[in-house]
Amino acid sequence: MEIKTGDFRVWDEGSTIYFDGIMRLSGSEAYAPILDLMMNVLASGASTVTLNLTDLEFLNSSGINLLAKFTIETRRHPEVQLVVRGAQSVPWQSKSLRNLQKLHPSVTLLVD
Amino acid sequence: MSSAPSRPLFGLRSFRAKFVLVVGAAVLFDLVLSGGLALWNVQRLSRDAALEVGQGLTTATQDYLRSYAEATVTEANLLIDRVHADVGVLSGVLQSQIDDPSRRDAVGRALAQAGPTSTDVVYDAQGGWAQNLRPSPSVVSVWGYLLDGSHLPRSDVQKEIEDSAVLDLVAPSLLASGAPKLQMYFIGPKERPIFRTAPYTDQAQTFDRLYPGHNTSSFWTFFFPGIYESWQDWIADPASRPTDSFLTQTAPYTDAITGKLIVSFFQPLWTRDRTGIAGVAGTDITLDQLASIVERVKIAQTGFGFLAMSNGNVVAINPRGEGVIGLVSSKGSSGQGVTGVERSLRTAMQPAIASLRLDENDGEIQHITLEEHGESVPYIIVLKRLQPTNLWTMGPIQRETMSVGIVVPEREIYASLITAQNGILLATNRILLYQIGAIILSLLLVFVAVLSVSKRITGGLSALADAAARLQAKDYSVRVKVPTRDEVGEVGLAFNRMAAEMSFHTENLARLVDERTHELENANQEISGLNEKLRSENLRLGAELDIARQIQMMVLPRPLELESVPELDIAAYMRPADEVGGDYYDVLEDDGRLKIGIGDVTGHGLQSGVLMLMVQSIARALQEAGETDPRRFLDQLNRAIYKNLERTNSDKHLSLAFLDYENSNITLSGQHEEIVIIRGDGAIERIDTIDLGLPVGLERDITPFIATREIRFESGDVILLYTDGITEAENARRIMFGIERLCESAFRHRLGNAEEIKAGIVADVMAHIDGCKIHDDITLVVVRHR
Repeated sequence: MEIKTGDFRVWDEGSTIYFDGIMRLSGSEAYAPILDLMMNVLASGASTVTLNLTDLEFLNSSGINLLAKFTIETRRHPEVQLVVRGAQSVPWQSKSLRNLQKLHPSVTLLVD
Repeated sequence: MSSAPSRPLFGLRSFRAKFVLVVGAAVLFDLVLSGGLALWNVQRLSRDAALEVGQGLTTATQDYLRSYAEATVTEANLLIDRVHADVGVLSGVLQSQIDDPSRRDAVGRALAQAGPTSTDVVYDAQGGWAQNLRPSPSVVSVWGYLLDGSHLPRSDVQKEIEDSAVLDLVAPSLLASGAPKLQMYFIGPKERPIFRTAPYTDQAQTFDRLYPGHNTSSFWTFFFPGIYESWQDWIADPASRPTDSFLTQTAPYTDAITGKLIVSFFQPLWTRDRTGIAGVAGTDITLDQLASIVERVKIAQTGFGFLAMSNGNVVAINPRGEGVIGLVSSKGSSGQGVTGVERSLRTAMQPAIASLRLDENDGEIQHITLEEHGESVPYIIVLKRLQPTNLWTMGPIQRETMSVGIVVPEREIYASLITAQNGILLATNRILLYQIGAIILSLLLVFVAVLSVSKRITGGLSALADAAARLQAKDYSVRVKVPTRDEVGEVGLAFNRMAAEMSFHTENLARLVDERTHELENANQEISGLNEKLRSENLRLGAELDIARQIQMMVLPRPLELESVPELDIAAYMRPADEVGGDYYDVLEDDGRLKIGIGDVTGHGLQSGVLMLMVQSIARALQEAGETDPRRFLDQLNRAIYKNLERTNSDKHLSLAFLDYENSNITLSGQHEEIVIIRGDGAIERIDTIDLGLPVGLERDITPFIATREIRFESGDVILLYTDGITEAENARRIMFGIERLCESAFRHRLGNAEEIKAGIVADVMAHIDGCKIHDDITLVVVRHR
């Protein structure tokens, strides 16, 4: 599955969800389809779900809220290992990704 | 309705003309190429054939000429050999008589008795000689100097007469057989040179007439000077003979008896002891016999032959040939001996003949040029030598090799070759004409065929073009008839369908316009309705936004409140985004305790505004309730918000940090953007708040994550609080303003009061954005220690 606009692209390959571009959607309603995609991957029964954010240059606060909500959701699935890949060089990531680990300590954070 | 413009049936620019031109050119090229190749090959073939035929015919012709010359020579040799044989028989008989005297005497006596006319001679007073009378097989003449005083032969002469009578037995039969011979004879030795000849003629009388004075001179010396001496030399030294034979031949001379040109063949007879000459056996043949062999030569139309002595004297040639090679004849004028004929090649009027070498190029083809009526005519000549003979002409006997010459005009001998070559040329020209004719005929046929086919092929296109022109002139009733079933036919069908459709549409246009107008009206009404709805929706949304904006601005601290704060100079700026966001800042003062809050609610709109209002209310309540512990303060605020969010089923949260100021000391708590401090000496400090809390509203209990940090804040120091609307403000190239630029901007403006610093930074941010869309609320709080 793939969600794509002129600014960004989100798609899944197996149990990895890739985020690419600049996401500046106006609210949680706008982010709902992406949350659906992520939930589908989570429900697919994979033992590891990876969020690859390396190429996501910008994510607004609603988007960060989405990641937080998803992380809180994975706490209900202890059998699923959540891996978040990010890049130190992207400002919002260096700031926000650590919150995900606070919300769910078993999250594996891989920041290049 | 205007009629379609008339089209020329076969204009130069028409498709048909091009079609015909292309096909014609292709066929022409093909024909010319194949024809040219064929012609070239035929030419080459004919040239090769002519060459082959020429070579073959030349070789054959030359072989033929050589063979002819050889055959002629062989024939002449044969004739001479036969004469030699006849003389050989006669001489053999006579020599055997000489070698057996007793038999000779017996035979002589017997013959004298049997035929006294053969041995009895009668004196002729007029001539002064004696001769036997008729009838006798042979005549025997006894010259005056062989008679005694009573005009009777000397006894030794008489003995010779009788001995020679044996000739009567042999000669007649030899004359009757073998080669045609004029006569055969015996001549005695020079001591008694009687002359017995068969057949009988008036021999002495003829001699008297032709050779006066002979009766008083020695026979051999008179008639054949030198011949006798040569024979005598041969006896002494046989190796001195010019050839292996003793047989001697004379050059042609006029015969005393018959008056014809003759050639004599002599075979000397030897005495028993082989030391002297006992006489001579001889025979004469007419030159005609030899001449006829070469004179019979007839090659092509005017080819001829000649027989020449080695000295160039031509002994036989036909009169025409004589004319061709320009011989000049003169009677032999030497006063001595037999007279002959003088007609030499050396004196011929044709230079090519005069310079002809008889001792060279035996049997070879020679090309010469003869002058005929003032023009040069090429001739072929073949010379072939006869077998060598001992020849007496005058004086000692010499070796002689006669030559046969064959002369043919080249044009006659090569007539067949020329005919063959002409035939080939004729055939080639005929093929050439046929080929050109075939090409022209093919072109005509192809042209006619292409013309008729092109009419059929391009007829459809022409009809289509005409119809299209009429269609252009708005004659929609036009239809084309394309009988072919090819692509043109398909185009025709499509055209007809199109024309029908155009016709239909044109006729129904008015009705269609009505229908479409009606549909458009309906659509317009629909759009108007929708527009109305949208307008009301927009109004509703606009009202909502207005409310949200009012709420947001409503709860912010008033400038007066800020000014009243002791020790600190505070200035604040908030600019809501196009869609209202949820930025929050507050300055709460209560009994000298000052609490500054800064936060950012996720999302936009009324909900965000309400959440911000809740945060402000709870913070104010906790402040009023005297909660001084920053951790508990944040924890209680989070719990209240979390539960309210749960109740309102809202999935929002916010970042939120508080600064508690007391006695030049700030206690920092909660997670938000970095805090920037510009010290009085210009040093810049950036303080990360990530580890001081967790976003509010996400978790029920955030106590484990809440931490505090103490910061000195003294006179001259400036603190910047802001939301991400500042750092993430983008310009047209999507470059964010960023924390670095914020620090630089603050540093530049640090010396002003809080209001001036705030205004300077906001101006820098706006300059960076440069009119681009503002995505998020921009909030900046500048706190300066007085």
